[in-house]
Amino acid sequence: MARAIGLKLFAALAAAIIVLPVIAVIPVAFSAHSYARLPPEAWSLRWWAAFFADPTWFAALIVSLEVAVLSAVACIVLGTSAALGMNRLPPVARKLLAGVFLGPIIAPAIVLAVGLYSLARSVGLVGSLLGLVIAHTMLAMPYAVLNIGVSLAALDPRLALAAAGLGADRWRIFRTITLPLILPGIAGGAVFAFVTSFDEVVLAIFLSGPQVKTLPVRIWEEIRVEYTPVVAVAATIMIVLAITGAALGRLLGRVRQEARA
Amino acid sequence: MTEGMPQKSSDALGAALLLAPALLVIAIAFLAPLARLAALSFSSPQGVLAAYRELLGDEVFWIVLRNTIGLAAIVTIITLTGGFALALALTRLGGGWRLALFAAVVLPLWVSVLVRTFSWMLLLERNGPINEAMVATGVIGQPVQLLFNFTGVTIAMVHVLLPYAVLPIYAALVKIDPALLKASEGLGASFATTFQRVLLPLSARGVATAAAFVFLLSLSFFVTPALLGGANNMTIPMLIDTFVNERLAWPLAGAASMLLLGLVLGCIAVIGRFVPLGGLAEAR
Repeated sequence: MARAIGLKLFAALAAAIIVLPVIAVIPVAFSAHSYARLPPEAWSLRWWAAFFADPTWFAALIVSLEVAVLSAVACIVLGTSAALGMNRLPPVARKLLAGVFLGPIIAPAIVLAVGLYSLARSVGLVGSLLGLVIAHTMLAMPYAVLNIGVSLAALDPRLALAAAGLGADRWRIFRTITLPLILPGIAGGAVFAFVTSFDEVVLAIFLSGPQVKTLPVRIWEEIRVEYTPVVAVAATIMIVLAITGAALGRLLGRVRQEARA
Repeated sequence: MTEGMPQKSSDALGAALLLAPALLVIAIAFLAPLARLAALSFSSPQGVLAAYRELLGDEVFWIVLRNTIGLAAIVTIITLTGGFALALALTRLGGGWRLALFAAVVLPLWVSVLVRTFSWMLLLERNGPINEAMVATGVIGQPVQLLFNFTGVTIAMVHVLLPYAVLPIYAALVKIDPALLKASEGLGASFATTFQRVLLPLSARGVATAAAFVFLLSLSFFVTPALLGGANNMTIPMLIDTFVNERLAWPLAGAASMLLLGLVLGCIAVIGRFVPLGGLAEAR
């Protein structure tokens, strides 16, 4: 009995130590002070007003959302296509390609960032939406391929065979059978790619320019020098959007489980 | 299966066409940048290998390398210890409690490392809540420096990397037959003995996978050491950044990048002999 209580105490303490540092910035966003201090002693919404009044902060949020949406779309289109292609390959080739797709996950972000920066500079893509989207697509696509590949592997191959036997061509099989059944996997991949891009900072630091920069890059520039609680507002927006994404992903996962049951 | 399916050659062609767009992105945004850095590393006007010679001949590089590996090693040890305790607690907790703790462990993975690092900047400040709490409880006489030094970087990195340790260790621990633990206990073994003779050997693969994840990710960490570390805590990723942004020394940046990449790949080659690293992708 004492052991069970001890265990629960440990669990509660551990959960607090893990979660509290993640959400510690949120109260600072509602501070009335002119500097960021934790915990605030007076409360206000002045820093939220400041965030939305400053065109550079708001523009960064918009750039982040644009890059994340475009990267997520690119990831699921390319990822679905790649997963379908891998499904047709013999196991050896499939394994080899899985290794190739692991590359962006394993390589140090700073190395990719510096390499991409050098390339983007020579073709004038530094500080462009396109450069950021390409980089984030590369970074998140492997997860999309994996996610969608798992959905495809769970598919009963007899369904496609039955449809083919009934005279359906490949496109029609894909549209009416494969796609609807792997849709939860694709949606999960999209959510994941969106959050990966929205959270990413290292590649974005090197690929952003004075005009086009993402929200994390704006935060990074601010906290390297002196910062006000407006940074906490930006951080709070990032937390809320990321957690919403996670919840959405879980919801889609549940739909998938129910669809299977 | 193969009967009634289209011929093999058209299958291979179809697969190639379906894979082409994704592989194109990998080629231009992953392979080309790495090739470019490799080329830059050999482009020093002083000679093909001059950048490597300059880097390896500089005492600073070795200090930075030692910092990087030392930090990664210490972060790995602390994270594994905490991760094991958490994973063990997860296996022993009942339904609702287990779900809640599990959610707490994976939730931070969704929040940007930058935001989590910024949070630690606020928490670890001289007048921040952690110093205040320690002074109030009498642990320390007056506030201590927790930011811009090794302590701050270590605390934040352990916090960021903890989930990567918990997940593989938990996956290994849940597979252990509870009867073995009961037997060990029934035979009068202390927890330390059970841990040493049953839990640890049977979860060794999970622990090794966790160690590999955490160590590899630590080696490549940039944001947290750059924001929370001091002048004496420079790591290789920070060194690469200064080569590009402060010294505009592209051959040196290329050479340092190749050495870091080589270090990571070397670790993977060694670790890959013992644990499957395919799970690296699933850990996120």
